[in-house]
Amino acid sequence: MTLQQSAQPAVAARPAWRRDKSRLFQEIGMLAPAVALLTIFLIVPFLLSFWTAMTNQPLVPRPTPIRFVGFGNFLRIFRDDLFWTSLWNVSRFTFWILPVQCGLAFATALLLHQKMPFRNLFRGLFFLPAITSMVVVCVIWGTLFQYPTGPFNQVIGFLSGGTIEPIDWLGDPNWAMFSIVLLSAWQAYGFQMIVYLAGLQSIPDELYDAARIDGANALQRFWHVTMPGLRPTHVFVLVITTIQAFKLYTQVAILTQGGPKSSTETVVHYMVRSGFEEQKLGYASAVSVILFLIVLVIALLQRQLLRRFDV
Amino acid sequence: MSDIAISTPQAQMTRTHSAVGSLRIVQTACILVIALVIVSPLFMLLIASLKDDRFQILADMGSFRAFWVSDPTFANFAEVGNFSGELAFGRYLLNSLIILALTVGSGLIVNSMAGFVLAWGSVRGRALILSLVIALYVIPQESIIMPLVIMVSRAGMTDTFAVQIVPWIASPLYIFLFYQFFAQLPKELVEAAQIDGASIFRIYRSIFLPLSLPALATVSILMGIESWNQYLWPILVTQTDYARPIAVAIATFFGQDSIYWDRAMAASVLMMLPILALYLAFQRWFVSSFVGSAVKG
Repeated sequence: MTLQQSAQPAVAARPAWRRDKSRLFQEIGMLAPAVALLTIFLIVPFLLSFWTAMTNQPLVPRPTPIRFVGFGNFLRIFRDDLFWTSLWNVSRFTFWILPVQCGLAFATALLLHQKMPFRNLFRGLFFLPAITSMVVVCVIWGTLFQYPTGPFNQVIGFLSGGTIEPIDWLGDPNWAMFSIVLLSAWQAYGFQMIVYLAGLQSIPDELYDAARIDGANALQRFWHVTMPGLRPTHVFVLVITTIQAFKLYTQVAILTQGGPKSSTETVVHYMVRSGFEEQKLGYASAVSVILFLIVLVIALLQRQLLRRFDV
Repeated sequence: MSDIAISTPQAQMTRTHSAVGSLRIVQTACILVIALVIVSPLFMLLIASLKDDRFQILADMGSFRAFWVSDPTFANFAEVGNFSGELAFGRYLLNSLIILALTVGSGLIVNSMAGFVLAWGSVRGRALILSLVIALYVIPQESIIMPLVIMVSRAGMTDTFAVQIVPWIASPLYIFLFYQFFAQLPKELVEAAQIDGASIFRIYRSIFLPLSLPALATVSILMGIESWNQYLWPILVTQTDYARPIAVAIATFFGQDSIYWDRAMAASVLMMLPILALYLAFQRWFVSSFVGSAVKG
């Protein structure tokens, strides 16, 4: 808008309306691809998922017409024990992954934020698992977890002198989810580390200098300068990690298929199974709507928290 | 990347020299332990892929032999590097590369154009579109995937390259990242070019794009990782070898009774190489620009 006012006479030789119109066309043309793609592949399927969730739509078309079932799918989901198990499992997963992954990421970022040789090299190295495909991660950790003679069990057996029995990492219902936590934390923590490094760099050096002049020791500086400065970062990291945890799927689908005894069944795995193995697409859509609502609540919580911290 | 370190006054440095020195040792030790935990599984993968005896691979991994191969061989790679047949990982790799290149290539254009207009355009409704884009960011891929499968199968798009590319070109996150990056550039850039009679597309193309290498690098890496590692979507929409990406192909190893770890390892190394190259090429810009956008993004 300010552009027209500051235009020089030389430009104004062309009629203003024509200039504006061609500019408008160009802008619309530049926006159009993104708007069209987002509409077709995000907004439409999103709205459709609410509709499909209220029908008995099968995966493959059947001669019988699709029936509107209202909230029937939701009621059946809430009556299914396996759904509640999957919700409980992703909650357990979240409970473990938050301290393991975010704690490790935070600690690494604090260490790497100090001046040290090869700092950038380490930063790059620690991000490597994050660029590694989950499928490849499953190949690596699948070998490490082998029962009874895999590497982990060999090392444990060696260290304990054979007193500790080999652990069936992925086959024991008590261990399976924890094993999934280990490999997931290893894979994803590089992202959180980078975010924490960014957060640490955004705290101005003057604050540390001022605290030092006031006689604050290293621990006090950490507690009264670093931690408050990182509040938005903590919120961001915890929320992103929680949302990712609720979407847990790939590693479970590849390594355990939800087992043993449904101990690693997750919401997304439950959804894919009901949609594609049991061919109940309407039912699966209802699960996807529930998943969206969970993610929405977490995201709104984040906004609320950030507002409270005044960022 | 800017080297920001905690500035310690020189005088204080000497006063607490021994304390700082021992702290430095603890810090270095911690970093090395973390490095061992993070890197050794990847290193094991590389070493194991060079070993020929698939029964020995597992046995070796529990000891120091996991980090050493006395007679490296590329036999495993030769076995899985075919372009047809049962172990056509060369082909799957190529499929993934095609999907990656086209998704990232068109994604950079589409999302940066939209981000630019949202930041500097004059078309009415920009603010509305921007807040809609931010709101759409909340929707997870997993929760639209069911209806999307029906849509693409009705359109006859299953088992194609297009179905793995087109739906993921435009993305709220990347539009927003570009918007944020462009918006912080000085408005004199637009005004000066406007006076010279440059059209809005020209301003975007010739002035803003060349200035946005950090943003382009960040989005390339993020989009590249995302596209490369897609798993759920391709298993739902590909049935044959034709457009099957390498991630799905590697996962099929796990369906077998006894896993050929040697082949799986070689295929995994093949899968890591391209994304590693992408990361190394753009890493410089990636970390520094991530700094600005991560927390608020």
